[in-house]
Amino acid sequence: MSKASESVAKPRRARHPERVILFFVSNQMFAIAAEAVQEIRSTDSLAGAAVEIESPEFPKVRHTIERGRHTYYVINGCVHFELRVTRPTLVLILRQFRAVVLVDRIDRMAEISGVYALPPAFEGDERRWYRGLAYLDDTVIPVVDPAGFLSGAEFQQLDRAAKAAAGHRELEGAVQA
Amino acid sequence: MSMPETAGRPSFIVMQIGKRHFALPADTVVELAPPVRLHRFPHTSPLLAGVIVRRGRIVPVYDAATVLVGSSAFTQRFYLIARRRTGKSAEFGAIPVNGECELASGEVLAPPADHPAYVTGTLAFNDESIDVLDFSALASLNAPVAGEPRRAEIPS
Repeated sequence: MSKASESVAKPRRARHPERVILFFVSNQMFAIAAEAVQEIRSTDSLAGAAVEIESPEFPKVRHTIERGRHTYYVINGCVHFELRVTRPTLVLILRQFRAVVLVDRIDRMAEISGVYALPPAFEGDERRWYRGLAYLDDTVIPVVDPAGFLSGAEFQQLDRAAKAAAGHRELEGAVQA
Repeated sequence: MSMPETAGRPSFIVMQIGKRHFALPADTVVELAPPVRLHRFPHTSPLLAGVIVRRGRIVPVYDAATVLVGSSAFTQRFYLIARRRTGKSAEFGAIPVNGECELASGEVLAPPADHPAYVTGTLAFNDESIDVLDFSALASLNAPVAGEPRRAEIPS
């Protein structure tokens, strides 16, 4: 057996400690950078504000909410991560993206020593879902990439669908009046 | 696992997966690791079972048994950690094995005509003719295929 460990470089990318929020979706723990989350609210608090949207291409997005002058898309975390669908109780409102993520529950905030790169062996959608992996309390936890919930092109597509839905509602209102 | 010299003859690590034996070139094998905790999280790479943490490194675990013997080998006793090529670099990967690993040496014979790409030859081991594997070729089966069933769900 050769000393292969000498020929395969150990990842030495500088890792920086950061604060993360640990949350559960369908009994699976994830981490997200605390600074990527603007607000955490209960799903009940959105009940009156959420508007349905028809977007068959995006089964993970069924509702929008208006915040300020912007339309935010409500993303079902279970559908996004292709997990068994559970009943979410909380939403994470993201800071840099017009996205609200439905999650089961928050576990806690924690400080991680850094984010390990996702091994290249992972070749699927997980490369878009995660920034990397964290090792906390003897557990490997995927660190979610907020940009992975919806791409720029997907936001544009949803914006068109949301605009069409708003036009449809206006028309329905006019007919009923 | 000790590594005696084999006087220039190619050396192999013979591992047991399910009830069959397979060989990996010894110079690709890094370590036989104990059955440390397998960490699972959602993903869509079909051959990966999760990761283990070994010597400060996160190592992907390939459920090679599903390809090699047709069923998962998670009653394993060890993880065999080997190198695989990823483009110009290399990456460690772990294969769950459910028996002792042995060092063997000998000439590699040509594989059967209908062999899969990850079998590079056959090796006489005890009274058996066993497949010699190319771990990189085996790992390449891991790429998600459009239209194939996906398994982001964590098995219970």
